[in-house]
Amino acid sequence: MSNINLAVNRVSKRFGGNQAVDHVSFSVTKPELIGMIGPNGAGKTTLTNVMSGMIKPTSGAIYLNGKRIDGHPAYDVTRAGLGRTFQITRALGRMTVLENMMVPGLAHRPGANRSALEERAREILALLTIEHLTNEYSRALSGGQRKLLELGRLLMLEPSIIILDEPFAGVHPRLQETIYQYIHRVHEDGKAIILISHDMGAVFELSQRLLVLHHGALIADGAPQDVKSDPAVIEAYLGHDEED
Amino acid sequence: MAFFKRFESTIDNGIGRRRFGYIVLGLIILFFLWFPNDSSQSNYAKTVFISGFFYAIMASSWALLAGIAGQFSFGHMAFMGIGAYVAGLIARDGIVFATLGIAISPESISAIGAIIIGTLIAGLVGLVIGWLLLRLRSAYLALFTIAFSELFRIMMLTEYDYTGGSNGLSLRPLLQIADVDTARQVEYYLMFGLLIVCLLVMHWVANSPIGLFLRAMREDEDAASALGVNVVRYKILIFVFTSMIVGLAGAVFYSDVGSERIIPEQLEVLQMSLIIAYAVIGGMESLVGAAAGAFISRYLLEATREVVIALPLGLTTSDGSGAFVWETGAWRYALFGVIMVFTLRYMRNGLLHPIITWFSGRDLIMQETVSKRKSDDDYDDQPEAGDE
Repeated sequence: MSNINLAVNRVSKRFGGNQAVDHVSFSVTKPELIGMIGPNGAGKTTLTNVMSGMIKPTSGAIYLNGKRIDGHPAYDVTRAGLGRTFQITRALGRMTVLENMMVPGLAHRPGANRSALEERAREILALLTIEHLTNEYSRALSGGQRKLLELGRLLMLEPSIIILDEPFAGVHPRLQETIYQYIHRVHEDGKAIILISHDMGAVFELSQRLLVLHHGALIADGAPQDVKSDPAVIEAYLGHDEED
Repeated sequence: MAFFKRFESTIDNGIGRRRFGYIVLGLIILFFLWFPNDSSQSNYAKTVFISGFFYAIMASSWALLAGIAGQFSFGHMAFMGIGAYVAGLIARDGIVFATLGIAISPESISAIGAIIIGTLIAGLVGLVIGWLLLRLRSAYLALFTIAFSELFRIMMLTEYDYTGGSNGLSLRPLLQIADVDTARQVEYYLMFGLLIVCLLVMHWVANSPIGLFLRAMREDEDAASALGVNVVRYKILIFVFTSMIVGLAGAVFYSDVGSERIIPEQLEVLQMSLIIAYAVIGGMESLVGAAAGAFISRYLLEATREVVIALPLGLTTSDGSGAFVWETGAWRYALFGVIMVFTLRYMRNGLLHPIITWFSGRDLIMQETVSKRKSDDDYDDQPEAGDE
């Protein structure tokens, strides 16, 4: 089991007059499957970007395994043990699937044996059912296959915490099943997963804990059955015109 | 076509394309090693080849910077100029740091020492420029480097007391060989050797983990960073590395190896555009492609200075000749422009890309992948969701 200790302390992010993330605090200390939900514009992706080092927070602090990571560049956060996927996949188009896998592999373990890393990459690709695309340029992959490739790249990094941003969006049901299996397997391997999705069925089926964001603020943090009946959550989803 | 298919099949079933490619490459290298020993070749022809080698280094290093690392810089000629000018100024004036009490007389600096210092200073400036460019991408990066390049050229043009202005600056000759023929032969091998060494080092970089990270950075800087790549480090590294390569090439070439003096005209944006054109025509994502594109282009530009056109239907010119000699002048550059337009429109990876792909066997791998994925493509994914 990986060492897991993520602490998000009163993190805020403001873009001009828009408070995208508003004093959010939570922690992850065990290999949990955590769902992060909220209406469009709730701040889920912004919080993910702040946590993963893509953007700096306006205020607050984030600690990962005892190391303060807020404001650190993304590569530093990744090496510290927090990996992420993107809502819109960001495959490295003019590189083969194998090369896409080797980038995080070699970045994470600079002195590692290249053929051993390639072997590991092929195993992961086989797990994700896209082994036959190993030598294909990733720009030639379908949207769902790119999602799988992103998930595969994460495993090359061996992070302790994984943030999956809309892993099921626009994915064929057959590939969705593969992603389900991936999530279960990674979780069983002792990693914490934060799952961001608009697919409520998937979130409630997979999650052991739910974080609910609304207007940038964390309005609920608890077991799915408790969150479901939380008046603040009900209002956020049903009380305004902006529900999904 | 049938002959090519038979030939292809023979190679595939025999030694394989990659090995065949190495044999062809070996033969090309042997040709270049033999060429100056051919007594029928003039010194002019050797000079054209030396110039071709120099531009091959320029184009291939730009291919590494722009084609592989994605840093579309117009500052390449300026870095070359920094290497050459620094080598020339140091060999002429020595080094004086009054505040540090350092004074090295020009006599105690050899031509090689001056070239090394010129190369290091080009790398140092590359470090500063690379750092300044960290947050600039695409068009902004290109504009910044054009501005830097022009700034340097104007400095060299204006400070004529030091740089010789438009007359240029003579560097200390690297070779001291009295016999012209022997000198040309040695210069030829020197520049060819430099090209081979530069290509080998760049090839090693491009195929190392660093090369993988550079390509990842070219594709998507944010994604590369999220995958653990220190984008800042590699961006600066590639600027320093390519600046040193072209600084070295410039310092050697203008040390009376390919040209006896460096002039500011060489630093004009037009010259930089030619380097880009050579790389694009040859293939800007391939070091060998860009080098070959530069060499062949330089050769063709020289070969087409005069074009002899045979007149049809028994027509003669006023002096009774049956052929008309067209001095192409700037028109050969126009023809060159047409080739570049064609390349960009129809063969974006360069005219040599199909050949390089064939030798690498990449198309075979693709065919195999296509057959494997046929069974996998019996469904389509839905379009991806928009960003939040």
